[in-house]
Amino acid sequence: MPRAAAIAAGLVVLAVVISTGLISSNQHVLTLIIQTMMLAALASSWNILGGFAGQISLGHAAFFGLGALVTRELWLNGMPLSLAVVAAVATTIVAAAVVGVPMLRFRDIYFAIGTLALGVAVFITAGNLWPGISSMPAEALRNYDFTGPYFMTLGVLVATVVVSLWLKHSKVGLGMMAVREDEEAATATGVNAFAHKMIAFVLSSALAALAGAAFAYFSVSYFPNFAFSVIWTFEAILVVFIGGVGTIVGPLLGSVFFIIGRDALPAEINEFQVVVFGVLFMVVVLLIPGGLTEASQRLYARTSRRKPPNAYESKATKGKELV
Amino acid sequence: MRKRSLLIVLAVMALLLAACGNGDEGGADTTQPSEEEVTTTAEAPEETTTTDEEPVDAPESIKIGAVVPLTGAFAGGGAQIERGYVYAVEAINDAGGVMVEEFGTALPLELDVRDDASDPNQTTSIMDELAGEDIVAYVGGFATPVHAAGSATAERNGIPYLGAATSTQALHEQGYQYFFSPFPKSPDMAATVFEMLNGLIPEGDRPLRVGIFQEATDWGEELGPLWVEEAENNGYEVVLHETYAPGSTDFTDIILAAQAADVQALLSLPTPPDGFAIYQQMGELGWKPPFNLVVRAADVPTWNDLGEAGEGVVLSTPWHPGLGLPGTDEVNQRHIDEEGRPADPVVGSAYALIEILVDAIERAGTLDHDAVRDAIAATDGLSTIIGPITFREDGTAEVPNPHMQRIGGAIELIWPADSATADLVYPSP
Repeated sequence: MPRAAAIAAGLVVLAVVISTGLISSNQHVLTLIIQTMMLAALASSWNILGGFAGQISLGHAAFFGLGALVTRELWLNGMPLSLAVVAAVATTIVAAAVVGVPMLRFRDIYFAIGTLALGVAVFITAGNLWPGISSMPAEALRNYDFTGPYFMTLGVLVATVVVSLWLKHSKVGLGMMAVREDEEAATATGVNAFAHKMIAFVLSSALAALAGAAFAYFSVSYFPNFAFSVIWTFEAILVVFIGGVGTIVGPLLGSVFFIIGRDALPAEINEFQVVVFGVLFMVVVLLIPGGLTEASQRLYARTSRRKPPNAYESKATKGKELV
Repeated sequence: MRKRSLLIVLAVMALLLAACGNGDEGGADTTQPSEEEVTTTAEAPEETTTTDEEPVDAPESIKIGAVVPLTGAFAGGGAQIERGYVYAVEAINDAGGVMVEEFGTALPLELDVRDDASDPNQTTSIMDELAGEDIVAYVGGFATPVHAAGSATAERNGIPYLGAATSTQALHEQGYQYFFSPFPKSPDMAATVFEMLNGLIPEGDRPLRVGIFQEATDWGEELGPLWVEEAENNGYEVVLHETYAPGSTDFTDIILAAQAADVQALLSLPTPPDGFAIYQQMGELGWKPPFNLVVRAADVPTWNDLGEAGEGVVLSTPWHPGLGLPGTDEVNQRHIDEEGRPADPVVGSAYALIEILVDAIERAGTLDHDAVRDAIAATDGLSTIIGPITFREDGTAEVPNPHMQRIGGAIELIWPADSATADLVYPSP
């Protein structure tokens, strides 16, 4: 798709989303859109680490949960929301930097297992330290307005996409991708692999914390450790791969597909939705490694009688590389 | 990205899928309503029009949104709740429906039951969805976590919410106006257990050495200290007070500690999976104290699967067919016919919620949420299957707090003594 057309399509979607937030009073529709935007933001943040820098983290929920926890605790105790969010992101940046130093010494499966262990440990610890449910006060509930959480989540998503776009075309981003393709080769050409992985890790975690802050602001009642659940990591990875890993639009497409698909899933098989999407994930990875993004580009190329637009898709089609 | 990384992802995601499939803590999906709609409606009852001209805008039915855990950790209790709702709705529809003055006619109830998979986050999501479907009120599920989410969501949506099977007093201390729960709360429960022990066991034989297994939840933090306080007030000594995280799978250390402390009365409030694990492991370790109170986990029929390990435990719910309250016989007989056993304890509690709601609608004369809420709050001495109901300002109500014991696979009423269907088996087998 030509660049101008893509920008135009993006602006139209943004206008529709903004209009819906201003006009609609249908709670179910607003909830679905908020969930979609939140998941898209979380998935995009994972995509920076997993898609751009090639580091498969299975503990991403730890940073989403940390952002949610700090925001919620400070906000419900009287701090202005904006300051609570800033504090949450700052805390997460520090935590990610501290954790990243030892964690990024691991490679491949060891990094994945290390982050998985981190995520599970943090989940259990949060459950032990904050066993009680976190509910908004009665007065806040009675005055609850979807508009605030809606536009906050939209803002978080836009920020995540903007950061991803900047990275994609920046020197730092190119360095990350070089590390992803071949860490030794990148190092040999002067790229500081560890520094680039650390930037990706911290940036990705900070954006995940922002998504967590949106969750904390949106949710009327939840157990604090729920925000640390592996399900958040699972869903983020799922939608990134379904949408197209390493792309900007992939996590957005994947999130829309996931939330709408889940909502439309027949009641009879709803109990198995995790299995359904898990199988779908494997099918996509094996048959369309570039996800919906690649599929739509193939379709566009076919309808416009052109070859796939760039080498990336060709490589992905061959199954050699995902991005 | 290398193929190896891809394989890593596939392998670990398979593990995650397996973990998520368990459906408990964080395993279930977080936001998506898993709808298992069980819509119970009767044929429109014969209209008992009281005015010459029926208003045109009368709805076809009165919709009640029931969000119940039919899968996941609380599924056993949720099944009882659902039966209670279905029985009550069908009985009321068979009797002609609910008179709504605003429309000048009686309307049938329509129960929309949806499964929240025991996940409080799904509870919220489903309730939001139901809010857009013209329901008059919510009726809730089983266990404090889902009620905590449900009560907050109802408050935000401005829709009345009636819930059974939650004993957490703290839920009623947040200033919520739309949450009503005629179910024994922690302070009453803590007092009643010692009242029962003193009433049923001669002074010299009482289990004076008390042990507490307290789950690390809101309810655990509330009830545990109350048990300690009441124990001291009644001359009992708390020799062990252990806390564990819900979802734990190994309770060996606290069981051995209880055994070492020579606990004679073990008080616990586990969710079903934890309670099963605790008593299974106690059976394996060959230890069980003379008196065992298991609040909530032992309510579910599958408790009998524990066999000898689960025999003789005492449970506490606000209803038992043996109490002989109005309407009990019909409900109990239907339960026997359909399930092959007397009505489970929580069935009556759920049944009563529908009775309360119907009474409130008839008094309000409208389906307006605030009017129905006000009418529920004004409920005063309403005769229900769990006894007369009068709501306090905080949404709780004075209700009976009978205790039962699992004896030979049956649930026998042991307290209050004047209604008991069996004597307390003590020491526990």
